[in-house]
Amino acid sequence: MDTKFIVSPTDRILITGSNGFIGAKVVECLLAYGFTNLRLFVRPTSKLAAFEKILGEFPAGKNTEIISGDLLSCDDCRRAAQDVSIVFHLAAGFDKSFAGAFMNSALATRNLMDAFLEHGRPKRFVNVSSFAVYSNLTMQRGALLDETCPLEDDPQERYDAYGFGKLKQEELVREYGKNRGLPYVILRPGAVFGPGKPDLSGRVGINTFGFFIHLGGSNQLPLTFVDNCAEAIVLAGIKPGVDGEIFNVVDDELLTSREFLSACKGAKRFFSIWIPYPFAYGLCALWENYSKRSKGQLPPVFNRRRCSAEWKGNQYSNLKLRQQLGWKPKIKMARAMDLFLGQYK
Amino acid sequence: MLRIAIIGCGKIADQHMLAFWRIPDCAVVALCDRELLMARQLGERFGVTACFSDSQEMLRASKPDVVHITTPPQGHFPLAKQCLESGSHVYLEKPFTVTGKEAEELIQLAESRNLKITAGHNYQFTLEMMEMRKLVADGFLGGKPVHLESHWSYDLSDTSYVGPILGSRTHWVRQLPGQLFHNLISHGIAKLAEFLDDELVEISARAHQSPLLKNLGGQEVQDELRVLIRDKNGTTAFFCFSTQIKPGLNFFRICGPNNSILVDQNSGSLIRNENKSYKSYLTYFIPPLKSARQNFRNARVNMFNFLRGRLHQDFGMKELIERFYQSIRAKSPPPIPYREIILTAKIMDEIFAQVYSKNSAK
Repeated sequence: MDTKFIVSPTDRILITGSNGFIGAKVVECLLAYGFTNLRLFVRPTSKLAAFEKILGEFPAGKNTEIISGDLLSCDDCRRAAQDVSIVFHLAAGFDKSFAGAFMNSALATRNLMDAFLEHGRPKRFVNVSSFAVYSNLTMQRGALLDETCPLEDDPQERYDAYGFGKLKQEELVREYGKNRGLPYVILRPGAVFGPGKPDLSGRVGINTFGFFIHLGGSNQLPLTFVDNCAEAIVLAGIKPGVDGEIFNVVDDELLTSREFLSACKGAKRFFSIWIPYPFAYGLCALWENYSKRSKGQLPPVFNRRRCSAEWKGNQYSNLKLRQQLGWKPKIKMARAMDLFLGQYK
Repeated sequence: MLRIAIIGCGKIADQHMLAFWRIPDCAVVALCDRELLMARQLGERFGVTACFSDSQEMLRASKPDVVHITTPPQGHFPLAKQCLESGSHVYLEKPFTVTGKEAEELIQLAESRNLKITAGHNYQFTLEMMEMRKLVADGFLGGKPVHLESHWSYDLSDTSYVGPILGSRTHWVRQLPGQLFHNLISHGIAKLAEFLDDELVEISARAHQSPLLKNLGGQEVQDELRVLIRDKNGTTAFFCFSTQIKPGLNFFRICGPNNSILVDQNSGSLIRNENKSYKSYLTYFIPPLKSARQNFRNARVNMFNFLRGRLHQDFGMKELIERFYQSIRAKSPPPIPYREIILTAKIMDEIFAQVYSKNSAK
C-alpha cells in the first residue's frame, strides 16, 4: 500500500450509492487497494446479489458492513458516518422533479456532511458530481471544457432537475468546506459507460420519438469507462494535498459521437438519423419558444441551454487528474469499448 | 391582485407555481417549508425572495390572501387551522385531512370566519370531467345515477416513490391510517362522492398486497384495493385502486336509468353510451361504429384544445385554483362543495378502518 495515502488500510470508509453502477466499482477498487474496513450505504429496497459477488472476491469483503437507510434521515446518516474517516458520496438523486432532485442530492448531502463532521473522523469527503453542472452556452464550439469553465446559472431554463440537484449539492459542499472546515474533493465524471449500463449517453443523441436521433455528430465525447472512473474517485479520496480541488474525469483516446454510435450499431442494429447541430439548435429554440408562449403546454425539455450543453461539442482534458492524483486510465479505450459492446451480444 | 403563499415546498409545490403562471391577478409573495433550504430552492427558481421555515412568522410577515398547503397530510389540519385563524383562505392539497372529523372541523372554522377552503381534487376539473358534469346536469343520464365506477391506478414499478416508504416505518406515508392508500386514492373517491348521497348504508372494502410490493419487501403495506358502496337512494358505487393493472386505468363511469357516460382520464376522452337497441346483427355493427365516431371526436377535440394552448397536463389544477380564486373574489360558493370534501374524507375513514382492522385481526 502507498504510504502517502491519508488513511491507513484499517480506517473506516463509507461509500454511499455503493451498489450503483459506479459505486459497486468504487467498492471493488477500494478492496483491491487493500482497504479492509468498508461501510456500504444502500437504499432499503436495493438488490444486493451482484454486490455480494464482488465482496466475495476479496478476503476483506467479509468485513464489509452494509447499512440500509435513507440519507434524508439524520438518524440514518448518523449511523452511516459514525467513526468514518473518508466518505465517498456517490448516491445520486434521479428524481424528475426539481424539488425531488434537490432533496435527494442537496439535502441528503447536507445531512451526510453534518453527520460526518459530528460523528466521523473527517479526513476527506469525496463528492461525486457530474458534467451536468457546466454551461458552455458562451463558449465556442470545440473549446476546451475544463474545471475552470462556467457553471450553469439557470438550470430551471435548461429544465434539468438532475443538474440543478448536483449544482446545489456542490454549492453546499463548498460552503461546508469554507465555513465548517470540511476537507472535500469534488469529482465531475463525464459520460460514464461500461457493462451494466446499455443506454447510450444523451450526448450521442436521443431516442424520444421512437427512433434514434444522432445529435452528437463529430463532437468529442467526454467518455470515462466505469473502472477508470472508479479509480479516479478512489484516488481523490485517499491522495493527500488535494483538499478543495475539483477534477473532471474523462479517459484518454476519446471517441467522437459518430465513432461511438457506429461501434454501437455494429454490435446492435438500430436505425438512426443525424441532425446537424445548427438545425438541432434551431428546433430546440423553436420548442423553447413555443413552451414559453403556451405557458408550459409543452414542457421545455428541448431548449437552447440543453442543446448547447449536450450537442454543441467541446474538447476535454484529464490533465489535472493525471498531474494531481497520478491517475491514468488502466483500461484503454479499445478494450473499454469491447467490454461495453459485449453486453449487447 | 391576490397575494398567495405556499407552505410545503416539495414536488407538488412546483406544479402549483406553474399553474399560477397561467392564472391572472395573483402573485406568490411567500414560501415556507420546515426545511428552509427547500423554500429557498423554490424561491430561487421562481423569483420569490420571502422564504420562511416558520409558518406563523410567514403569516405575520406576508399576510397572504390565500395559502396553498402542500405538506404531507399530517400537517394539513394544524397548518390550515393556523392559516384560517390568521385570516387567509386555504387551498389544501389532497388528502384534505387525515380524518373526516378534522375535515368537518376545518370547514366549520372556515365558514365561521367567512373564509373559503378547498381540497386539491384537481382531477375533478379536467376538460373531460367538466364535459361529463355538464351532460349530467343536462339530464343525459335520464335520472339519478344508478351506479358509479371509479378506477384509479398508480404505477409502482419505478421504485423512486415507494422505495423510501418501504424503507422506513417512520416515513410519513406509513404513519397515515390508510398508509399508501391514504396518499393515493382521494382523487378516485372524490369522483364517487360527487354523485353519492351523504347517507351511506353500505361500504365494503377489501385490500391485499401485490406480488410486486411483496418482492420489494412491502411488509404490512397494501397496494390493491376494491370497495363497494351503496347510498340511501340505492345508488351503488365500485372503486378500484391498483398498482398492477397495465395499462393503468384512470376512468370514471356513471350509469343512469337511460344512458351512461365513460370518462377516461388517461386519454382525456369521454364516451356516451346511449340506450338504443338495433335489430338483429346490426347490434354488432352500429354501436362499435358509434363508439369509433366518438373516439374520433375525442381526438379532434383534444387536438383543437392543444392548438388553442388549453391542453396543459395540469389543466385540472389550474382550473380548480382559478375557480377557487373567483369564488373568493365574488364571495360565491367554492368550486368543490364542502359536502363532497367531507363525504370523501368519511368514505376514506371507513375504508381504512375496515382494511387495517381486518389486517390486525389476521
